[in-house]
Amino acid sequence: MIERLLERARRRADGGADALWRRVERTSVAFEWGRLKAAGVAEEAGVNVRVRHRGRVGVAGTTAVDASPDDVLTRALASAELGEELALAFAAPAPVPPVTTFFHPVADASLDRLIAMGRSLLAQLEREGCRVNITIEREAAETQVANSGGAAAAYRSTAIGVSAELWRIAGDDVLAIGDTYEGADLPSDDALAALVRSVNRRLEHALRVVAPPEGALPVIFTPLGLSALLLPVTQALSGKAVLQGISPLAARVGEQVFDSRFSLTDDALRPGRAASRPVDDECVPSRITPLVDRGVVRGFIYDLETAARARTHSTGHGQRTIFGKPVPGYTNIVLGDVRSLGDVGAQHAAPLQLGGGLLAEIRDGLLVDELIGVGQGNVISGAFSHPVALAYRVERGAISGRVKDAAVAGNAYDLWKRVGDFGNDGRWAGARYTPSILLDGVSVARR
Amino acid sequence: MIDRLTAALGRSGADYTEIRVERTWSTAVTFRGRRLESATASEDQGGFVRALTAGGGWGVASFTSLDRLEAMVARAVELSRAVRVTPPIRLAEVAPHRAEAILDLDGDPRGVPIAEKKRLLEAYNGELLAVSDRVVDTLASYRDEVSEYWYVNSEGTALHELRPEVTLSGTAVARRDGTIEKGLESIGLRRGWNSVQDKAAGFREAAERAVQLLDAPMVTGGAYPVILDPELAGVFIHEAFGHLSEADFVYENPQAREMMTLGRRFGKPGLNVGDNGAAPGLRGTLPFDDEGTPTQDTPLIKEGILVGRLHSRETAATMGERATGNARAISFRHPPIVRMTNTYIANGRGSFEDLIRDVKLGVYACGAFGGQTLLENFSFTAAYGRMIRDGHLAEVVKDVVLAGNLFQTLDRIDYIAGDFRWNQMGGGCGKGGQAPLPVTEGAPHVRIEAALVGGDVPSGAAA
Repeated sequence: MIERLLERARRRADGGADALWRRVERTSVAFEWGRLKAAGVAEEAGVNVRVRHRGRVGVAGTTAVDASPDDVLTRALASAELGEELALAFAAPAPVPPVTTFFHPVADASLDRLIAMGRSLLAQLEREGCRVNITIEREAAETQVANSGGAAAAYRSTAIGVSAELWRIAGDDVLAIGDTYEGADLPSDDALAALVRSVNRRLEHALRVVAPPEGALPVIFTPLGLSALLLPVTQALSGKAVLQGISPLAARVGEQVFDSRFSLTDDALRPGRAASRPVDDECVPSRITPLVDRGVVRGFIYDLETAARARTHSTGHGQRTIFGKPVPGYTNIVLGDVRSLGDVGAQHAAPLQLGGGLLAEIRDGLLVDELIGVGQGNVISGAFSHPVALAYRVERGAISGRVKDAAVAGNAYDLWKRVGDFGNDGRWAGARYTPSILLDGVSVARR
Repeated sequence: MIDRLTAALGRSGADYTEIRVERTWSTAVTFRGRRLESATASEDQGGFVRALTAGGGWGVASFTSLDRLEAMVARAVELSRAVRVTPPIRLAEVAPHRAEAILDLDGDPRGVPIAEKKRLLEAYNGELLAVSDRVVDTLASYRDEVSEYWYVNSEGTALHELRPEVTLSGTAVARRDGTIEKGLESIGLRRGWNSVQDKAAGFREAAERAVQLLDAPMVTGGAYPVILDPELAGVFIHEAFGHLSEADFVYENPQAREMMTLGRRFGKPGLNVGDNGAAPGLRGTLPFDDEGTPTQDTPLIKEGILVGRLHSRETAATMGERATGNARAISFRHPPIVRMTNTYIANGRGSFEDLIRDVKLGVYACGAFGGQTLLENFSFTAAYGRMIRDGHLAEVVKDVVLAGNLFQTLDRIDYIAGDFRWNQMGGGCGKGGQAPLPVTEGAPHVRIEAALVGGDVPSGAAA
């Protein structure tokens, strides 16, 4: 499909073209409120093409892949007619780094295997007064990405997600505690045991409800609870935000902006992670991209278009779906020293312990595991204010119980300037690897 | 198409089978700053099959190649048989319907050249940029789609619909030194091209708001009497109560059922809440849901008392209630799940001035940047706020985030004005990995006697 499309494109678009073709097949099983309820399959294929004609760039996509390649090309050329001129250079042919993205145990996992995995988790999580939802979804995909200049890559990949969520409703108190394993390979028995432990530990501490503290306090954000603090930073480190003039980090490359123990890296080559791939969706070879190194801003992520506009090079972060044009997007984000991680592809690097060894430092404070409304509001400014969904009070170095009806607020940039401490509980949460973080002077309000 | 789908149903062999096929034409235009970011036309097509066998679970298959229809029906039946469920899944009775519904397109966008759509958006984007040189960035987008939709099930329902949708949005980003603020305009309609003309005023207001917020102080955190404008009151009822009324949360969870027992008091007399999937001309409106059940107006709270909930056929059967037409899917890629349509707080009486007259110190929270609920607890972010001092509107404040506990907050609604309006916004609702689902919310001005507003913690509270 893709060769035929590019061959036609060479004739019709004077500045060439690039294209992505992807086929995905998925299997899923769902246990709803403790019962196996549904099994599903999905098959999807589509192509996205971008052309450059008379100096202008246009994009089109379709899932009607059996149709003539000329239809989608015609739409891409019509899209290009409207665009402004852009000196977009397609990716040059280049060697592709080795990274394993395809794992047979996931590709070949039978429905029965997935159901058995779910039943085992259910048996370990169910208890009186609680209900459990479990979803397991595996997928295998084929990707081809190429351009009219001769760059081409093709790879197969797998991914699996195992989510467990435990609900406990007592009167008007609603408690939901969940965790997810995500990876390119099947979870090991240890990884599933860690998932169960993660839910159980947090449940045990949650059964007792205590009054929230109040004031400017030390707060531990767990790897799952850290999103509100990292989102402004990752938004600001996108080349797109820099181009738009809204990134507070734009003019600060080489400056010490964060705590000297704070490093952030995008690692597209991390073994076993579902976001890893040999090339990005524009055929630019993958690499490890330092974003912040020991507190100093090192660079931003770019795709081909933002790089062309910013007069720099793509960092291999082009992401595209079947519809719409490529945009810069992160792969695996690692907080901390990426070199010391070794081969961490598994969910948990350290034994699971709530607080990551940071509790002892706190006389009175909070441990935040989940916030409500992250991503709303004026994120890129760094200001945040969120009620807690799941948080615990820490008193005299130990968790005293769960707090409700509390909210935390602060400014991420101010807080990252001086980190209290880093936990020893680094783990993957989605495509992000972080330990727990202790921050001082976070505003905690109660009602 | 209906004949082809009916033939595929005939070969299913399951106790119940349904098939949906969708073909969607869409165009999207985006401006960022003065630059056209993209202008694309897309075509998406695919099918969805769901089967139920005796003692089996749901077998589900979705696909983009229609050549695979018959094979995917067989696969769904096989998957249903592979999943044993006790007690068996039952579906509430719904009379079979055969219908051909061509919704009012009000200007079929498929007949309008994409260059004309670009010109329209460029003009609206220009309104944002023209307000002030403090407006450093904009994001303006136009999107239309027309979806041809076929649905059949093994009980004899056969539907063919043409569903239009058009959304228009504009964000203005204003900046002065390190301060960045934004203003948002958003319009979403289940109509076509003609309905998005003459919308410049809303774009101008959004940009003026962003510039105005540069000078606004952050609201001081604490508990206040809060008046929600109709837009935010709509988001509030959707987030804080609507999701709890979705029966898939309660139907197989005894503790949740107890918490949501019909007859329980949720608010003061005067609080009336419902969900109306049949309200004419709204974005959440369709004649049938994605299980072929006709949509309807479902009362949820009457005079403060819980009286109803939103159902799919499965949740209705389990709870011994009637299907309400709320089983919806965002596309052929997903199964229908229990969702809202057009959710509302019904009119009270009196005016906005009546609500603020006796408020000594309070917050008037306006517009919505978003909202999230984690059952029982919710958070939503107002676009901006005004302080209320001694019964009058005072200074503009920013970063107004409202957080609360559902049960307490509903019960604290003490005044509902008589100025109801539907908010025809873009965006949509997300649940179970399905977003954005077109929904509408509507409300009059609503007063909460005390609610927690996030913001700066008063310095006296520091430990």
